[in-house]
Amino acid sequence: MKLLGKHLDKDGSGYVTLRPDDDEDIWHLYNLIQEGDRVRASAVRRVQNVSATGSIESHRVRLNLTLAVARVTWSPSTAAAGEAASFSTDASTSTSAPAHAATLHISGRVTSENPHVKMGAFHTLDVEVNRDVRIEKDEGGWDSIALGRVEESCVPGRGAEVAAIVCGEGTATFCLLSQHMTMVMHRLEVSIPRKIAANSGAHEKGLTRFYSALFTSFLRHIPYSSPTIRAIVIASPGWVRDAVFDYIMAEATRTGNKALLSTRNKFIKVHVTSPHVHSLVEVLKSPEIASQLKETKFAREGIMLDKFFKMLGADEMRAWYGPVHVALAADRGAIGTLLISDDLFRASDPIMRKKYVQLVEDARQKNAEVLIFSSMHESGQPILTFPLDVEVVEAEEREAKEEEERRKQAEENGEDVNAG
Amino acid sequence: MSRHRDVRNINVAGKMFQALGNETRLISHSHSDELDDGAVSDGGEEDLSPQEYEQLMSGLDHIRATVGSQEQSGLSDKEIKDTLYHYFFNVEQSINYLLEAQTRKIAARERKAAKEREKAEKLAQQKKAAEASAKLPPAKPKKATGAKLSGASTPVRSTDIRQLDLAGLNLDDETVLPIDEPPPKITVAREKVLEEARKQLEGNADKKTVSLVVIGHVDAGKSTLMGRLLYELGRVDDKTRKAHERASSKIGKSSFSWAWELDGTTEERERGITMDIALQSFATPRRQITILDAPGHRDFIPNMISGASQADCALLVVDAAVGEFEAGFERGGQTREHLLLVRSLGVSQVVIAINKLDQVQWSQARYKEICKLLRPFLIQSGFHPSKTKFVPVGAMAGVNLVARDGDEAQALNAWYSGPTLCDLLDELEPPTRDLDAPLRFPVANVFRTPSSVIAVSGRVCGGLVQVGERLRIVPGDETAVVKAIESEEERLEWAAAGSNVTLHLTAVDPRHITIGSVLCPPTDVVPLVTSFTARIIVFDIQVPITAGTSVELFHHSRDVPASISKLLATLDRASGTVLRKNPRVLAKSMSAEVQITLRSTTVSGPTARAQPIPLEPFSVNKEMGRILIRRGGETIGAGIVTELN
Repeated sequence: MKLLGKHLDKDGSGYVTLRPDDDEDIWHLYNLIQEGDRVRASAVRRVQNVSATGSIESHRVRLNLTLAVARVTWSPSTAAAGEAASFSTDASTSTSAPAHAATLHISGRVTSENPHVKMGAFHTLDVEVNRDVRIEKDEGGWDSIALGRVEESCVPGRGAEVAAIVCGEGTATFCLLSQHMTMVMHRLEVSIPRKIAANSGAHEKGLTRFYSALFTSFLRHIPYSSPTIRAIVIASPGWVRDAVFDYIMAEATRTGNKALLSTRNKFIKVHVTSPHVHSLVEVLKSPEIASQLKETKFAREGIMLDKFFKMLGADEMRAWYGPVHVALAADRGAIGTLLISDDLFRASDPIMRKKYVQLVEDARQKNAEVLIFSSMHESGQPILTFPLDVEVVEAEEREAKEEEERRKQAEENGEDVNAG
Repeated sequence: MSRHRDVRNINVAGKMFQALGNETRLISHSHSDELDDGAVSDGGEEDLSPQEYEQLMSGLDHIRATVGSQEQSGLSDKEIKDTLYHYFFNVEQSINYLLEAQTRKIAARERKAAKEREKAEKLAQQKKAAEASAKLPPAKPKKATGAKLSGASTPVRSTDIRQLDLAGLNLDDETVLPIDEPPPKITVAREKVLEEARKQLEGNADKKTVSLVVIGHVDAGKSTLMGRLLYELGRVDDKTRKAHERASSKIGKSSFSWAWELDGTTEERERGITMDIALQSFATPRRQITILDAPGHRDFIPNMISGASQADCALLVVDAAVGEFEAGFERGGQTREHLLLVRSLGVSQVVIAINKLDQVQWSQARYKEICKLLRPFLIQSGFHPSKTKFVPVGAMAGVNLVARDGDEAQALNAWYSGPTLCDLLDELEPPTRDLDAPLRFPVANVFRTPSSVIAVSGRVCGGLVQVGERLRIVPGDETAVVKAIESEEERLEWAAAGSNVTLHLTAVDPRHITIGSVLCPPTDVVPLVTSFTARIIVFDIQVPITAGTSVELFHHSRDVPASISKLLATLDRASGTVLRKNPRVLAKSMSAEVQITLRSTTVSGPTARAQPIPLEPFSVNKEMGRILIRRGGETIGAGIVTELN
């Protein structure tokens, strides 16, 4: 993303003009724009003119509109295709990403005067890559979280990506992992008849069919020769990954695909325990990957989350989750590391958002580490699915904490911890 | 608190249900007795006794007085008589029924006023035909009792009630008769089949059928033991054996030659490891046994679960070699995990074959040591001591499988005089089967037979299935017709709950059936859910379960990503009473009530939506209500579905 202009007042009001470069930037915009903000972007609108004689003339006009945001919807690049996946699993059913990328729709009333559109008329803006967007927020709107995101998204050269194929016998999911998103590019399902004791012909035929389908999808969906791809991970339980890798290389040799052959050393085979997408978390934790991607955000998230769960198991008193518990811990300055989902900052209720922002700022002030998890990442999914959505790891002051715990217990008995 | 108490506790509910099932069965028996009396004298008015004939005629007069003549009412004498017969000459009920039928007819006629008369007449005829065909030959009295029978055993819906329901929906146009209706021949046979099946299960049949899953740590010798056993029992001929021996020694894996009978794929043979379930069958003197040879490697536990959910009993194979047994039995070994898994899937009988004793010179001390180590764990896992049997074997040499003669067995004979493995398998008791439940057939494999017919294999989990029947495939909107039923290379006319069979299907595109689909009657469809409440037992885990934990949910042959969305309560393991509401975490060996929500398999992120899976509460169908929860390649819990939401 490019920052084209920025005008902020001390009270946190003002505007920022941005130009998104790729899908991930669209995701950032989705996280920045909130209900009540004013967004200015170019739009195409059909304008009708009624002449004096009553004949209607309509034409399309490209114009810049400013909306007061009422609703923001975001769809990942694969959402439409994902629906179609359903149960059809014939010889080789697959769902692929359409050519167009992620989209963001912003709807609301027009608030600026305009020769073509009346004030107060509804419009829906489609935000696309390479189109400028100006986001204007009211007082207090540009808080530390929002500004942090703008800054983060505008750092150049953050495009290091990892391609991953998570496969099992008959299933494969092609994903691209970037800083903030896990994009499922493609899902492949080939029904392979299971072995029947003596006669294995059908099974093996099915396997070959699967490998060849996988290879073609690989070529289509994984930008293997792109320099931004740092690694291509093949993950699976059992030995499927070996077979898949061998097949890809054999086919590359057979078809003389030099570009693919030269990326041979980018391939990493990782053992995971299930063929589902969520085993990407395991991929990120595996030593082969962790060492390569140590500094990247998602690797760090995976590691911290793992640490949290371990602590929850080993020493329950030091790991807490849920807004009530976390707020209490924050009050007492007991937070060592705060893990929080970005989903919370999208909360439409500004008071709620303010509360969470406050929480993060407080924690930062007390030298605690704060990790904001992306809900578009597999590693962020567990937090997202926590009904209470926030969690805290560790407090240095054990004694204080234990005392606190007793108090908490008492409180908890009284009031039901509500998810809200 | 030990684990077994809780597992038993779960079973209490099951037993109650069983008891209930028995009761309904009794009721239906008494009905079918009546039914037989009636069936002797069927075929029409001629067979009626004089009194009955008189009742019939006076009833007819009564009804005619109420509904009017044939022209007025559109009801023929025959229809009235049939109805009377149906209601045992009870005039009032018959009138009610007829009036209903009449209004239905009129409504239908009015709706299609344009095409009317002829069509309406045809319709009436069709309808008559429908009623006739539903009640027909040896049928009239039988039909009546049939309807009652199904009333007693609630889950089964007879054709009669179904018709009424359909009629109530005013669906009476040309397609009055849904094509789904099985031909009359089958409807009649159903009663007979039910009886036959029941008879067989009650032990009147010559051989009871039992399915057996073979479990144990990787490389314990499961496949080898099975291969050898099949050979000893004459299921494998010398020619095949020799071929396997030659081929396996050719790639330098001669020690796996016995396993080759079950490990059919190239990869399995090359690696010397079972990767998927192999299905075989053999007969002992008193039992017909279906074996499901499960893979022991931890990466293939999903396949093992698919096999175990099709089994009644388990055969645990343990390696007696020093160090090997311990490796399999310690934390993370599959001996433990497999035992817990099969127990959670409802297997209560287990035979433990202590294998490779030849490698420890048939040492009795070692045998005893292993038994001693296993026993407490078995009890803890919920296996009743009377239902666990131990037997020493040597699979490679074939010692103590069927017999104990020959030189190899000398050392064993010195201290062991108990039963052979085959003797123990011969004593396995099949569990009670639920015949009255609606049909449930979770598909474990889809393939094409050599003659290119679509075939599905799996186990009938309740009810029975017949050739010619039309079945609904869930999930999805498709149906298929059963063309043939195959079991152990034999063609069957029907298959009842508990049997492992292959169904050949027609009138369906194979793309609509996947591994994990459930076949069921079109009238009684399995519910589809994305979220449900379950009562689970947490296994021995390191990292506790928090709300939001991502898990894999296993149900029969299907595994789907899910998350534990809510921790509702922790329960007392013995009594099941609520200990604490909304717990924060679930630690190991707790029992709890949780809500599980499926996750989307296609996309991640906020817009993702999950595909529902077919599932039923445990109280409705036990086999359809058992689930397993795994995380990171480790089974973290097992449970039963209590409620669908």
